[in-house]
Amino acid sequence: MNDMGPVQTIGVPTPLVDGPEKVTGRAMFAADYCVADSLVGRILRSPVAHAKVKKVDVSKAREIPGVKAVLTGEDCNQTFGVLPIAQNEYPLAKYRVRYRGEPIAAVAAVDVATAQKALDAITFEYEELPAYFTAEEARAEDAIDLHEERPGNIERDVHYDLGDVEDGFAKADLVMEEEYQCAEIAQVQSEPHATYAEYDTQRDKLTVWPSTQVPFYVHLMLERTLEMEKSRIRVIKPQLGGGFGCRTETLNVELICAMLARAAGGRVGLVVSREETFITHRGRPETAVKMKIGMRADGKLLAAQSECVQRGGGYSGYGIVTILYAGSMLYGIYDIEAIKFDGYRVLTNMPPPGAMRGHGTVNMRFAFEDLMDRMATKLGLDPFAVRRANLLKAPTFTFNDLMVNSYGLDECLDWVEEASGWKDRKGKLPPGKGLGMACSHYVSGASKPKHWTGEPHATVNLKVDFDGSVTLLTGAAEIGQGSSTMATQCVAEVLGVDMGRVHTISSDSAITPKDNGSYSSRVTYMVGNAAVDAANNLKNVLTEAAARKLEVPPDQVECLGEVYRAGTQDEGLTFDEVVMEALRDTGTITVKGTFTTLPESQGGKKYRGAAIGGTMAFSYAAQVVEVTVDPDTAEISVDKVWVAHDCGKALNPLSVEGQVQGSVWMGMGQAMTEGTRYHDGLGITGNMLDYRVPTIVESPPIEVKIVEAEDPHGPFGAKEAGEGSLSGFLPALTAAVADAIGVRAADLPLTPDVLLKLMEDKARADKKAAAQDSAEVA
Amino acid sequence: MEYLPNFKTHRPSTAAEAVKFFAESDEPRYLAGGTDLVVNVRRGIETPQTMIDLTGVEEMTGISDAGGGLRIGGATVLREIAESPIVRERYAAVAEAAGEVAGPTHRDYGTLGGNLFLDTRCLYYNQSEWWRASNDYCLKKAGEVCHVAPSGKRCFAAFSGDVAPALLVHEAEVELAGPGGTRRVPLQDIYRNDGLDHLATQPGELLVAVYLPASTAGIPSTYVKSRVRGSIDFPLAGVAVRLQRDGADVSDLVVALTAVNPYPHFVKGMDAHVGKPLDDEALDAIRDTVRTQAKPMQTTTVAPWYRRRVVGALARRLVSKLYEAQG
Repeated sequence: MNDMGPVQTIGVPTPLVDGPEKVTGRAMFAADYCVADSLVGRILRSPVAHAKVKKVDVSKAREIPGVKAVLTGEDCNQTFGVLPIAQNEYPLAKYRVRYRGEPIAAVAAVDVATAQKALDAITFEYEELPAYFTAEEARAEDAIDLHEERPGNIERDVHYDLGDVEDGFAKADLVMEEEYQCAEIAQVQSEPHATYAEYDTQRDKLTVWPSTQVPFYVHLMLERTLEMEKSRIRVIKPQLGGGFGCRTETLNVELICAMLARAAGGRVGLVVSREETFITHRGRPETAVKMKIGMRADGKLLAAQSECVQRGGGYSGYGIVTILYAGSMLYGIYDIEAIKFDGYRVLTNMPPPGAMRGHGTVNMRFAFEDLMDRMATKLGLDPFAVRRANLLKAPTFTFNDLMVNSYGLDECLDWVEEASGWKDRKGKLPPGKGLGMACSHYVSGASKPKHWTGEPHATVNLKVDFDGSVTLLTGAAEIGQGSSTMATQCVAEVLGVDMGRVHTISSDSAITPKDNGSYSSRVTYMVGNAAVDAANNLKNVLTEAAARKLEVPPDQVECLGEVYRAGTQDEGLTFDEVVMEALRDTGTITVKGTFTTLPESQGGKKYRGAAIGGTMAFSYAAQVVEVTVDPDTAEISVDKVWVAHDCGKALNPLSVEGQVQGSVWMGMGQAMTEGTRYHDGLGITGNMLDYRVPTIVESPPIEVKIVEAEDPHGPFGAKEAGEGSLSGFLPALTAAVADAIGVRAADLPLTPDVLLKLMEDKARADKKAAAQDSAEVA
Repeated sequence: MEYLPNFKTHRPSTAAEAVKFFAESDEPRYLAGGTDLVVNVRRGIETPQTMIDLTGVEEMTGISDAGGGLRIGGATVLREIAESPIVRERYAAVAEAAGEVAGPTHRDYGTLGGNLFLDTRCLYYNQSEWWRASNDYCLKKAGEVCHVAPSGKRCFAAFSGDVAPALLVHEAEVELAGPGGTRRVPLQDIYRNDGLDHLATQPGELLVAVYLPASTAGIPSTYVKSRVRGSIDFPLAGVAVRLQRDGADVSDLVVALTAVNPYPHFVKGMDAHVGKPLDDEALDAIRDTVRTQAKPMQTTTVAPWYRRRVVGALARRLVSKLYEAQG
């Protein structure tokens, strides 16, 4: 018995618990629920960007045999939206359409051809209004307001001026300013949006399977828009083909599908196309950044001033939070006090952006790090030295009151510098090759949830019954990121049992406790902690039962996972025996665990909206990117990436490595090839040929180092792993290109045509300078 | 992806049978790999009522010797051509071009005939029915205006097949079967300079096979394309070059382009470089000639000026590479 001990699962590379279903194709995604006799939903979309809805005539569509429901804006009187203070979107346009492709009618029919025939029979009468496709047009003095309650088409302006910025610039040895432009990008998760809904006319009950990251929000929005008691609604999250923030907000597809099911009195599947998924949007907004930094000759940051303009869409969505993140997350990574920030989130006649991976921070971090690199060059400093001159010392609070209890950025820097051979290779590579580096960070969950109810941030239930299995019930939305595996590991680790004993059921409102959902990298930290709490509570129940049976006080019971014993000589009780004892008198055991953030982590009050950015812990990352630039075609090859990510204790190193590689890779897409384009508000890149997500061919080897600066409050010391490595790629790439060919890029994506233009401009400027030099010499 | 409308299918076993089905069917289209056509059907660009599936026509598949040249069946999949030792040995550019088409799964289905008969492409055309309707359609399909060049009355959609220029530099001929019988013509004769209607074949004509002549077998050749991504993408510009060197002199030089005009384009004026050594000045002249003859328009998200720049740079690079390799 002496070799027996608790089974260890934390820190062990662990394949995902739902992997076999996904690999073998048995996993059920929303579209897989559509059975032969379910109806097909289809959406009619606005051909115009901005118009008053005069009439949507569906009379002819209703007469077509096989058409079971036809809905328009008249069938829904309630708006929806992710932020309680900005709910201004109707599932189907009611009085106005505000972007091209906005849903104006929907049908459910016996098959797709009939559904299309019905859409073709609908006429849409409208009165066109002036449409604005850029932030500048929408902010113009004579522009009409998209929404009455948003004068000047400003969704939110954010201003703070902390510390003494002017004094910082005055004391700086170098002050530089640059303007950056980042294209709008989309997540392009592998699964287009899909929802399956079933309405039970006998019982007035609705069950919905939406492709969402936050089933709880969908539940609330169904209650609101369908004006239906929430107790009659059940939301079951199917397997998801990714999210990356696109599906954090409730989307019109989900609401329309449920509305159709109720109207048709049956089952409806609504699976939209890739183009419609692009139109539904909720990606990262087009962003213009003006960045000004003051630096001392030794690289110390003294002050920063920035302006950020985000081109929002026709509806608010996450806009307010995105612009707040853009400002607050200038802090939290370096030791800097004086920052002035002016942010503007603008409403335009475009599909609404949302909370894409690295929410709000990415384009700002790009600008900040890129400018740091330019300044390092100007001051003759190594970019690593500049970062090291500005490191934070945990525990601390940043100047805007963000709590930092763990900080592994120094270790991240050391590793990428060493692994990439930076000291020996930087500046010594052959022509056309270059190295660049940058840092980044991200929150481990927003400490203040958007729907503040006073509840704990996360709740996990455990059930144990006669069979000795532990059923883990969590509302955490498994979207492919591994949350179910993480929760399973946490419970197995605390109990010391094999993971096979734990069955995890996630995201069914009738079964699992409510969860705030998968966004802001909150799940590992919050749900992980709740799972640990629940497992500890269960362990107490089991220990007390074992103590009763062994006739010793509970504190003398030793838990070895599969065996509970009183002293090393004791043969002990098996897990099953302990469970049977625990069930005596009480029957099935159910315990609960919760997690609530600390008040001091919930951000500051120094300016309006300062709570955004508040988190229990930050992850940190540093990366080095190596590139080769083709002198004739300006094609950039990324040869290699070294990335170190401080995620605190890595609960599942296998999963962490995948998340970090995925983040870097997504950053690469934004930096190099991705960007939406529109023709008068009509998306011309709404497909996977013209919207260029990188393929495996140009994907570099990404070497990952996990740095574990354990957080005092994280589950086993863990922090977030899924977002923090993304934004660093962008500035590391532009720095590497500058190192390779001496050209500095400020606009992304850096496609070959954009880069060739910069190269030719530089060649011309060099030639002119050389001519002037020789003229002067002469 | 949009849904696939219903249509009838026939699966003939001979080319003659295929032609007959075509003549007798309601709004027919020939279908081979479907990697281009099915996408266009889903988008409502094509609305065939009948599809004539060519994958069962034995005489249209496979690669065989033809008197020192090669016969390649029109329904041969691109992967087979890319991997064929005999194609690689005799007509390197053809194998390379076939291997550069789209991605691996496309090449498993996509055929030679499909790549040669590829519809021209444009940002304003390769869109869904809803999209095109919202944009008042375009000159190429159902509309009055070309959104690329609104003042003109021409369609500038770009021919974007990779294999055609490689076959052109090797002087390929095609065997066509149609209602009027079978004919064999030089490959370039099936194209014309009109993005709206770039194929000069007769209605119902079918590409049975491609013939590559013995006269160009073994002459060094190569193909390269510019694209943003290393896979999937259609060419932004593509260049095929055939070059024979005799001592210091160039004894044979042929250059053809794709994706920068509505048809695969033979570059004129290359004879001027034959019978002379190739120096930097000549290479620059070749680059500039290519740039002059390429006429890319804003049919992709990448700027036309870039495609023109790069097509010249790539031509220069390939010519130089083939010349140096034989030194």
